Amino acid sequence: MRPEEPSSPPPPLAAVLLAALALCVLLTAPPGHPDSSGVPAEGGDDGMGHLLGAAAAEDEVPYTAVGTVSFPGARQERALHVVSRPGEGVAIAPLGSREPAFVMRESPEALDGRLLRVLADTYAVVYAGPGELEGRPVHRVDALRADGTRAGRFLVDAGTGLLVGRAVYDGSGRPFSVSRLSGVRVGAADWPEHAAGGEPWGDTLSPDEREELREGGWYLPEHLAWNLRLVDARSTRLDGARVVHAVYSDGLSQVSVFLQRGKLESEHPSALGDESTGTGAGGDGITTEHDTIFGGGTGQYRNVWESGGFVYTVLADAPTGLVSSAVTALPEPGAFGFWARVQRGLSRWGIG
Amino acid sequence: MGHLGERLSALVDGELGPVEHERALIHLAGCETCRFEADMLRRLKRRLTTLGEPEPDHDFLGRLSGLAGGGTSGRPPGPPPGGAGFGMSPPLGSSRPLGGHPPTGPFAAEAVADASPAAPVAPPPADRPVRRRADRFTSLLPAFPGGRYAVAGVAVATALLGSAFVAGGGDDDTPVVEPRIADFALEHALTVRQLPFGEEPPAETVTGAAPSETEQTR
Repeated sequence: MRPEEPSSPPPPLAAVLLAALALCVLLTAPPGHPDSSGVPAEGGDDGMGHLLGAAAAEDEVPYTAVGTVSFPGARQERALHVVSRPGEGVAIAPLGSREPAFVMRESPEALDGRLLRVLADTYAVVYAGPGELEGRPVHRVDALRADGTRAGRFLVDAGTGLLVGRAVYDGSGRPFSVSRLSGVRVGAADWPEHAAGGEPWGDTLSPDEREELREGGWYLPEHLAWNLRLVDARSTRLDGARVVHAVYSDGLSQVSVFLQRGKLESEHPSALGDESTGTGAGGDGITTEHDTIFGGGTGQYRNVWESGGFVYTVLADAPTGLVSSAVTALPEPGAFGFWARVQRGLSRWGIG
Repeated sequence: MGHLGERLSALVDGELGPVEHERALIHLAGCETCRFEADMLRRLKRRLTTLGEPEPDHDFLGRLSGLAGGGTSGRPPGPPPGGAGFGMSPPLGSSRPLGGHPPTGPFAAEAVADASPAAPVAPPPADRPVRRRADRFTSLLPAFPGGRYAVAGVAVATALLGSAFVAGGGDDDTPVVEPRIADFALEHALTVRQLPFGEEPPAETVTGAAPSETEQTR
């Protein structure tokens, strides 16, 4: 005869409640990041000195140069006339064009320092030895991933200390974007008249303000992915409504996420034109992977969708994998169902 | 002797002693006013006695009886100990008169009739199962030791999800917006220090070939 097994003691009530709560969180949590296995690269970052020096030279050395920016994947390249005046900003204009220059005035909250810190945290910034660019000696600095592949390369002019070359590589090692300065002439140059442009939105959001927005339901995480950190957050009012601009970066590329309360029209926003894909109510017209919607063919990414009472607009000039990671980490399009509403309620409580 | 006054009510209720009772009756024989008042009081008392009572709900009575009996003692349903069940008490006005003296005199027959208890309410049918509500709920629980905790957990989770669902509402007034892509592109360009989106490169600068790095290692 089989002995009677003793009855197991009833599970504690607290354990059952915790299990129920965990189940709720799991059911309502956003999908995991596909690159969550990525880790920051370890290294001595012996190349950071050259990059810090280049950032300092940008604030001290006036110069004129011809800049070229190319997106090899898009087989396009543009040439720009560049005038830099420390204290006033940088004016750029398409070479050979009569269009007014575009001026980017310096902002007290320049991203250089923060971007370099993020770069060092994400990649191993190593000095790759001396080189030569158009006959001028340069220092080469590489940003390496944890597996040793190259994610970025910087060329620092050995004479002026200016950053004269920069390249970003995708996960397969192919160059995504390449920019360089040629014909660099140090010294003050004529500042273009009738220049357009300006400064970024002036309302920089402090950590407390960001936290307050999060409590109000705004999706504004400090990290979108292990290699995408919030480096800047600003706010302004357009059409009487608040718009938040969150900038995420891995130190090499930047992804801009614009958030605003509301929902899209049922038709595609006219501002998107024909070169991009927008979404209608409920997220129609967008893939869940978010990696197929590029605009313009210039390597620049733009995407608009709505989710949970917010409209998200993503603009980026970054490799596909990085942008996909960012967009996937954001709330899914068309999250209007029961679980989306539950998740929104939990987030308003500060859970999940 | 004046009118009976308050003793008239005591007379009708049979609360007077034998001597007082006889005196009151003698007075009534010669006093038209008191006799009329006594007659009115008697009619009123009879009316109150014969008022119809609401029919008690048998199911409710059975559940009350089950609660009083504990449900598991096996005692048949019946009035709870220490008192009659609902609807089983004597009708209003039929209580035994104070003093307990049997009525005598002209009102004796009526008084006896008025004092008779109302017919008892029939108890619930014996074949009708009377169960406690808690017993019914318990029978639904799963037959494992942690069933109560599981039910409690499910209840808490349901309450949590419901509350979160309510807290996550409020989108009915969501405004329709159209992102101002041009402004966003300018802001992005100013932040990342690149040409804004939409600035297409001049046609003559499109080379169609990917540039190669020109630096050379010394």
